Amino acid sequence: MLGGRMAQVTEVVPIPTWRGRQRSSRRSAPTLLDTRSVYGEVQSDQSGGGWGRENSKTKGYIFLEYTIPSHAQDAVKMANGYKLDKLHTFAVNLFSDFEKFENVPKHWENPKPQPFKNVGDLKYWLQNEDCYDQYSVIYEGGEKTAIFLNSPREPTVVEERSRWTETYVRWSPQGIYLATFHMKGIALWGGEKFDQIMRFNHPGVQLIDFSPCERYVVTFSPMSANQEDAQAIIIWDIRVGQQKRAFHCDAQSAWPIFKWSHDGKYFARIGQDALSIYETPSFGLLDKKSLKIVGLRDFTWSPTDNMIAYWVPEQENVPARVTLIQVPSRKELCVRNLFNVADCKMHWQKNGDYLCVKVDRYSKLRKVEEKDQIKYSGLYYNFELFRIREKQIPVDKVECKENVLAFAWEPTGHKFAYIHGESPRISVTFYVLRPGGKVDLIKCLERRTANHLFWSPTGQFILLAGLRNMNGVLEFVDTGDMTVMAQTEHFMATDVEWDSTGRFVVSAVSWWGHKVDNAYWLWSFQGRLLSKHPLDRFCQLLWRPRPPSLLSVEQIKEIKKNIKKYSSQFEVVDRLRQSNVSTELLKKRKQLMSEYEKYRDDKREEYAANKDRRLHMRRGVDTDDMDEEEMDEEVVEFLLKVEEIIEE
Amino acid sequence: MSRLGTPKKPIILHGHERSITQIKYNRQGDLIFSCAKDPQPNVWYSLNGERLGSFKGHNGAVWSIDVNWDSTSVITASADNFCKLWDLETGRCISSLETRTAVRTCGFSYSGDLIMYTTDKTMGQNCEIHIFDVSDSSQMRSGEPLLCIPVSSTKITSAIWGPFDEYIICGHEDGEMSHYDLKTGEKILSVKDHSKQINDIQTSKDGSMLITASKDTTAKLFDTSTLRHMKTYKTERPVNSAAISPIKDHVALGGGQEAMDVTTTSTKIGKFDARFYHLVVEEEFGRVKGHFGPINSVAFHPDGKSYSSGGEDGYVRVHYFDQSYFDFKVDY
Repeated sequence: MLGGRMAQVTEVVPIPTWRGRQRSSRRSAPTLLDTRSVYGEVQSDQSGGGWGRENSKTKGYIFLEYTIPSHAQDAVKMANGYKLDKLHTFAVNLFSDFEKFENVPKHWENPKPQPFKNVGDLKYWLQNEDCYDQYSVIYEGGEKTAIFLNSPREPTVVEERSRWTETYVRWSPQGIYLATFHMKGIALWGGEKFDQIMRFNHPGVQLIDFSPCERYVVTFSPMSANQEDAQAIIIWDIRVGQQKRAFHCDAQSAWPIFKWSHDGKYFARIGQDALSIYETPSFGLLDKKSLKIVGLRDFTWSPTDNMIAYWVPEQENVPARVTLIQVPSRKELCVRNLFNVADCKMHWQKNGDYLCVKVDRYSKLRKVEEKDQIKYSGLYYNFELFRIREKQIPVDKVECKENVLAFAWEPTGHKFAYIHGESPRISVTFYVLRPGGKVDLIKCLERRTANHLFWSPTGQFILLAGLRNMNGVLEFVDTGDMTVMAQTEHFMATDVEWDSTGRFVVSAVSWWGHKVDNAYWLWSFQGRLLSKHPLDRFCQLLWRPRPPSLLSVEQIKEIKKNIKKYSSQFEVVDRLRQSNVSTELLKKRKQLMSEYEKYRDDKREEYAANKDRRLHMRRGVDTDDMDEEEMDEEVVEFLLKVEEIIEE
Repeated sequence: MSRLGTPKKPIILHGHERSITQIKYNRQGDLIFSCAKDPQPNVWYSLNGERLGSFKGHNGAVWSIDVNWDSTSVITASADNFCKLWDLETGRCISSLETRTAVRTCGFSYSGDLIMYTTDKTMGQNCEIHIFDVSDSSQMRSGEPLLCIPVSSTKITSAIWGPFDEYIICGHEDGEMSHYDLKTGEKILSVKDHSKQINDIQTSKDGSMLITASKDTTAKLFDTSTLRHMKTYKTERPVNSAAISPIKDHVALGGGQEAMDVTTTSTKIGKFDARFYHLVVEEEFGRVKGHFGPINSVAFHPDGKSYSSGGEDGYVRVHYFDQSYFDFKVDY
């Protein structure tokens, strides 16, 4: 606004315009600054005021005109609030802002309350009597989306809709919402009838990410670059349906760009040499500033605590290091220096008890000057294991000479497994962490065909899978005693999904990855094939997640102790159900058989009636039944033995 | 679904250089006839797999082979534009009937007096059904058919005689099934229950029912005289051949995918299987693995105690069923 906030404010008002203007030759650059670096390429300055000098001072404001509207917007973003020096700050507005602010209505009207949209019980599916899980299936190349109930023998269709989504679907982390993708944005569905709960307008949306508590969803659209008021990343409050904050997306980063803390209180992203942590529900920067970390490469949140782990590569003479900090206090809980580091990857155990940092270490380093690149050679690998729950977070180390292809913690236990080596000598190794700093090798399974590890979400069981170019080899292992329960395959499998209870696992051949034999197969956790479900152009299957159990640890222990009591009840129900299905099937079969018998009786009559015709056609030879073929019996005598009895 | 056990090891007949196109038993069941994409059809003893002989004379792939009811003559249909008639006892070629395009199917009528063969629709020529009277030697010499029926539908991919030398039952490239009447030369019946090409048609022992194998991944059971669709047997792959057991309510299906359609194949050996379904309830109850490539032809022995399959791998496998096959019963 005119008449700035401080003394001697230089004000610039860029005007977006399409009309070409000649550059004014009168560009008497002010002695104080070169505006081009701040304001970008200016088309002209509409100097009604501006540069003219009065009393050897500038007027304190200028008007700038740009040819392209987005340049004007960029200028506002870049320059508004720019501190020229200690006493001078730029205040920059779009010309259109004046009208907007002038026309603020005098009377304040309270917004009208929206009618309450009753969406029913969003958690209804958890109350399924038999605890069947749901899963979503996309098939017919994306035309149809269906929700199934994992009932024994045959899945039950809960809902099936055509063109429900235009690309794929995502469940929210606790399973309450199903998100579908459309040209204009995303929609969230839930409740018993899968009604539309909310929808969010974000044209060209491609990726989404839910906060773990399901209060917020982040949407990303690469389309929204040059449009007014449009942004690439938007964070929404799900219940209210409002846009909370929008961000630009500059660098090519991996999705999700924003990572959430486990309780949804904070979310953070990497900036240039900085970690920006925001808090909710204000959506402002924590402590109003980013955490400056020079060279920051990557960070991850603990899945159970408000703790961040990040790593910084080596610079000059300073070694690389991994640091754990507490949020919001920013207190450093643990720092680990690492030498000769080429790369790091962080893996948290699901309960937040352990953090593994896989470190790629080099023996030789070479700088390629022209490309400004660094080439590493002689790589070997370490796992740095942080014991989060122990005092001072001690760190143990495990070395691996071979190339590591995959790593996974047992979700609720103390074991981890990793795949290493090069084809055909690929191995899978298992370790367990014991108290007192002991990391023991359990077993190394050699000569395996595997490129992915899938632990059961409840631990103990693991599926070693060789997906895609390894042709779908599957191996089920019980890590309790390291027995291989089953070695089998689902030819050309592209995906594996465990259900959230760890009872079932699905292997799938997706049409998106392989154009024939599209199907999903259901296995028990022991590797027993339960059923096959081929579907025309099957694309994707996702189990509906469950919220964490409401039972305490002691209650769960109690139930496990008394499992025999419960299992006998379930067995009775199971047997009853089997016989029910059988009676239906038997009835249907009986009907088919009796219909067929009637048909056959008619045909037999016809056949008998036509006997003469057939005899005539084959010159009187009766060829109707093979048993009546003329058979010649021949008696053949063989000389077996000659005995001579000599009578004395 | 279970793995069907066969007590003795299957007998493997190895006499072809290229993939098998069709196999047939004679009526008595002691002989198996096989033809393939190489020019030499073979005939074997079904009991022990010993080769009786070969038929030499063709210059191209042999698509179809048939033997008459008293096992005296054999006919073959070949891509070299000939349908040849052979004497089974001597193996000599009795007649060569020349055509303008490849001969796709052939068959002896019930009486054995008439033969039919169909030609492909290529090079501007129509698909045709030719009927010859083999008992008329002058007609055979002249090469002029008794009847020539032009086919206006999509080309015939499989054809057999009806029960009384009265009509030809045809399966077409687009899944159509039809009857062509011999007296009038007209199409007298047409149905479309399959959505893709019919690869094989075989009848039940008494000829009252027939089973079709189609590229649309199903096999279907029809009433022969009315072409009323009665049953469907579903698989996930194109079905190349299907047969009805002469003694039990079973059907056998053989299929897979053509080598050209498959971009990768499983490394597990002998993955391709013949599948057995209960004829009435349409449920699969067994599979027999063994072929290294898709199965192109299946046939039951006339006594129903064994069956044979011919594969893309060039082998014919003769399997004798074990007791579990005969004991299998469907509960109802």
